[in-house]
Amino acid sequence: MTEQEVIELIDSSLAEEFELERDAMTPEANIYEDLGLDSLDTVDMVIVLEGAFKFKIREEEAVRGIRTLGDIHRFVLSKMDQKP
Amino acid sequence: MAGNHQHSESGTAIFFVWVALMNLWVYPALLMWTFIGILIFPFLFSVGLIFLRQPADRLMRWFVWVYGRGWLLLMSPFVRFRREKMERVRVDRPCVFVVNHFSFFDTYCMALLPQYDIVFAVRSWPFRLFWYSAFMRLARYLDVEGSSWEETLSNSRSVFAGGGTVLFFPEGHRSRTGEIQRFYSGGFKVAIDAGVDLIPLCIDGTDQLLPPGRKLFRPGTVTLRAMEPIATDDYRDKNGHILLRKEVKEQMTAELAAMREGRGK
Repeated sequence: MTEQEVIELIDSSLAEEFELERDAMTPEANIYEDLGLDSLDTVDMVIVLEGAFKFKIREEEAVRGIRTLGDIHRFVLSKMDQKP
Repeated sequence: MAGNHQHSESGTAIFFVWVALMNLWVYPALLMWTFIGILIFPFLFSVGLIFLRQPADRLMRWFVWVYGRGWLLLMSPFVRFRREKMERVRVDRPCVFVVNHFSFFDTYCMALLPQYDIVFAVRSWPFRLFWYSAFMRLARYLDVEGSSWEETLSNSRSVFAGGGTVLFFPEGHRSRTGEIQRFYSGGFKVAIDAGVDLIPLCIDGTDQLLPPGRKLFRPGTVTLRAMEPIATDDYRDKNGHILLRKEVKEQMTAELAAMREGRGK
């Protein structure tokens, strides 16, 4: 997958799961303040990303540091790079 | 044609007079009811504690329910309140209620339920309403925004252990479109974790009565309908709460559409 395809899959998966407006989904958007997610949603977000990309990330410390959509993009892209 | 036009104009005039009368009555009456309630509550609560020997939080929840009933009674000259399929609510069995959210008035309409022992799961801002805050804390309402998830879960478990129920507005905010918004997961996870039934409730009409952004009440009909209880045992796997949340939202959206089609029948 290209970088753009990965980002598109992240955004479309999150938009579908959390019924987000695509216009609001900019890389700078704070997932709590701008996109309206709560702490439990981050658990669901992990499940959604694991389902979309077929990897395990729930134990990863870096997930707790995610604040913006851009953080999610970078996190998933780095995981994709580590994939064999 | 001219006759019809005049008829329509007089109908509009009567409606505006009726709205004015409603607001001239409702606001002072509700303020007075709240003021009197706050004044006599310490006495009645003390008497209740001594003679009924109920836990303080449960007794407080009964007072909240009675207070809500008072609101409905005061509104009743202008608003028709309908309860539908309430036989689905078993008052002797703890459960989680989830209800759609259109109006500030929705919370008061929960007094239409046959169950009084209800703990509301709310955001932090209602706890800052100084005239309600102490009562909410006494009733052990859940501040889901200001507490950790573990605290919410543990407090919910203790409510169920005492025979009570927990009520969530899964949208988190009042809808400004008149349509059901996206659901948050909290209520669904609580029900699954505790192994209690989840009962969706659909409320219709409060979006006409007092939607967000409007200050004046309008007359109308408010209907609260209980849907079939859902056993949560089948949703215990890791994605269960997501599945349950989606299924319930779908069912509530369809139910609300059916209720709106049946308006006035």
